[in-house]
Amino acid sequence: MKINIRRSRRAALAVALGSVLALTATACGDDGSGSGKSKGAEGSGKGEITFWDNNGGVRTDIWKQIIADFEKQHPDIKVNYVGIPAANAQSKYDTAIQGGGLPDVGGVGTAFLAEIAAQGALEPLDGRLEKSSLNGKLSENVLGTSKAAGGGDTLYHVPTSVNNGTLWYRTDLFKKAGLDEPATWTAFYKAADKLTNAGKNEFGFTIRGGEGSIAPALDAMYGQTGITSFWDGDKTTVNDPKNVAALEKYVALYKKNTPSADVNNDFTKMVAQWDSGTIGMLSHNLGSYQDHLKALGKDNFRGLPNPTLDDGTRVQVSNPVDGLGLFKASKNKAAAWKFIEFAASAAENSKFNESAGQVPVNIDAAKDDWIQQAEPTRLAAQALNGENTKIVQLPYYLPDWNTISKADNEPNYQKVLLGKMTAKQFLDTLADQLNKAQAEWKQNQG
Amino acid sequence: MITEIAPAPQRVVSEPARPRGGRRAWDEVPRWQIYLPLSVYLLFTLIPFYWILLFALRPAGSTSLVPWPMTLDHFEKVWTERSFGLYFQNSVLVGLATLVLTTVVALAGGYALARFDFRLKRGFMLALLCSQFVPGALLLVPLFQIFAELSMINSLGSVILAETVFQLPLSMILISGFIRNVPPSLEEAAWVDGCSRFAAFRIVVLPLLRPGLIAVGSFAFVHAWNHFLFALMFLSDQSKQTIPVGLNTLMNADSVDLGALAAGGIVAAVPVVIVFAFIQKWLITGFSAGAVKG
Repeated sequence: MKINIRRSRRAALAVALGSVLALTATACGDDGSGSGKSKGAEGSGKGEITFWDNNGGVRTDIWKQIIADFEKQHPDIKVNYVGIPAANAQSKYDTAIQGGGLPDVGGVGTAFLAEIAAQGALEPLDGRLEKSSLNGKLSENVLGTSKAAGGGDTLYHVPTSVNNGTLWYRTDLFKKAGLDEPATWTAFYKAADKLTNAGKNEFGFTIRGGEGSIAPALDAMYGQTGITSFWDGDKTTVNDPKNVAALEKYVALYKKNTPSADVNNDFTKMVAQWDSGTIGMLSHNLGSYQDHLKALGKDNFRGLPNPTLDDGTRVQVSNPVDGLGLFKASKNKAAAWKFIEFAASAAENSKFNESAGQVPVNIDAAKDDWIQQAEPTRLAAQALNGENTKIVQLPYYLPDWNTISKADNEPNYQKVLLGKMTAKQFLDTLADQLNKAQAEWKQNQG
Repeated sequence: MITEIAPAPQRVVSEPARPRGGRRAWDEVPRWQIYLPLSVYLLFTLIPFYWILLFALRPAGSTSLVPWPMTLDHFEKVWTERSFGLYFQNSVLVGLATLVLTTVVALAGGYALARFDFRLKRGFMLALLCSQFVPGALLLVPLFQIFAELSMINSLGSVILAETVFQLPLSMILISGFIRNVPPSLEEAAWVDGCSRFAAFRIVVLPLLRPGLIAVGSFAFVHAWNHFLFALMFLSDQSKQTIPVGLNTLMNADSVDLGALAAGGIVAAVPVVIVFAFIQKWLITGFSAGAVKG
């Protein structure tokens, strides 16, 4: 009995000690300093900085190469890379702004730039850019989008990449059907119809009905009507009668020329469905290029910028711009800025975008050979900077934009696809919310 | 000296009376009426798993409906290139440490709830229950600040502690239920024989709690293994991330490598499946025992 009691005491002691040791061993952490309220410091321009990649995982390797190049050129600066899953980047930033632990440099896209800037976490970069070797080397159009997305005239991130809406189409199916490339909306609708044979599970188009459906719908709508501004004074143009008619025509493709499963498809399912099925066209962006390449082979598909009007005018909504933000809480802003400058330089920006399959913002990088050889990217770059292209700037700066364009209206868009709501009702609701959000934003701006 | 420990009293469940002079109604049901719905249900359940296996085992770009030719490239990619080997180790550490801490603390707390009467005991139980309604996301910022004060941000310890804290209320309630099912007279007999309270607990009660402990421990392990939010928020260093965060990094903003994602999903699911395969007997016994008020 005594032996048992001794054993039990020893066991209890071992468990307690083991737990303490395990926690001690795993507790070599940091204090997470650097909240949104911290002012930070310029620092010596040497030492360690932390970089959060807002699209961690797929981009990890290329960022590690860029960091290695940077550390070679700046041996007195060490960059700690942190990859964050794309879907959770904003919540990670929000938590760190409130609780501490912000990085020195972070990937901040236009989708949530305004929200982070509004919390006072980002350093304005206009002054630094003016004195930098990057001055004059970044696309003015993209800089304009970045400033607009930040909520005004201030630059809160250095843009590095821009994506573009792309109409992917199956060249093999088009050739078989004797169709021309879907360069105009007229050709697009004709092809969608001709390539559909629902009985054989063949469809002309796949429409995005699940998560992320609003921006592509707006893109198709403005693209068809040629309306070039999102605002007419303080009122949005989304429910302009021309836009209503264009959306009605677009959603009429659902089930007639698209699979019925589309109503729930986010981009993952939509891309997988296109890559593995017999569907003529897919409207996505440059990001899915590698997926198509693996699934279809380079000779069986092409990617064009969104279709034009019959007169050749291309109207498209502004696309997400990715960039690097400098956080106010950084205690080593000088070193952090050196890293941003380096990453946005021609050579590194080119390297990054070649890997990411996006359009470089550095104008020298945009001239590199790989762009000339990657047709979808080259065409996207031409479209973005083309004289015939008009860009409708989406109001990324509205704090409610993400809520309005996602949770508030995606279910309604599904109702439109299913015929349970009219396009006019949907757009009127959307317009009402946007007008209120814009009025509130203006009021807050004073 | 205690020489024998009486087995825990088992509830006797009487079989339903058979109808006189005939087979049970159950036996008279045609087999197809049982197996057909079960087969349909099984098919419905297993098709998604087959789909994951298909994507994980067939080459990238293949549209074949069978995983042939078979490749392990996706597994190799996630395990080496995408650091799942490291994430796996971290997840095992977090899962096991949470299991141990949750079980030990819940045992102590559950014993107190089962065996002692104290003021506000009902209120305490109610508070434990209510704490289950608070989502982890709501407490992220306060927890972040607490761990920052303790210099524990970016350490696995923060995730282990947070997971343990969130597992404790339910575990404590379950274990107190198991302990109530053990008659106090067994412990009292051990005290008469000279055992201290702790020794009596260790020698008499603990062995009888095995199904309950396995249920609570496995529940804590699986929850910690699958939990994403705390690891994402409290850990920054790539080498400290866990499997759920690793899985999410396989999804780019604009493209998803479905083969790698499926392979990563299998890597994440296999330990949980194995754990459940080994413990399912105790798990069912444990939860049903804890569900009965003593």
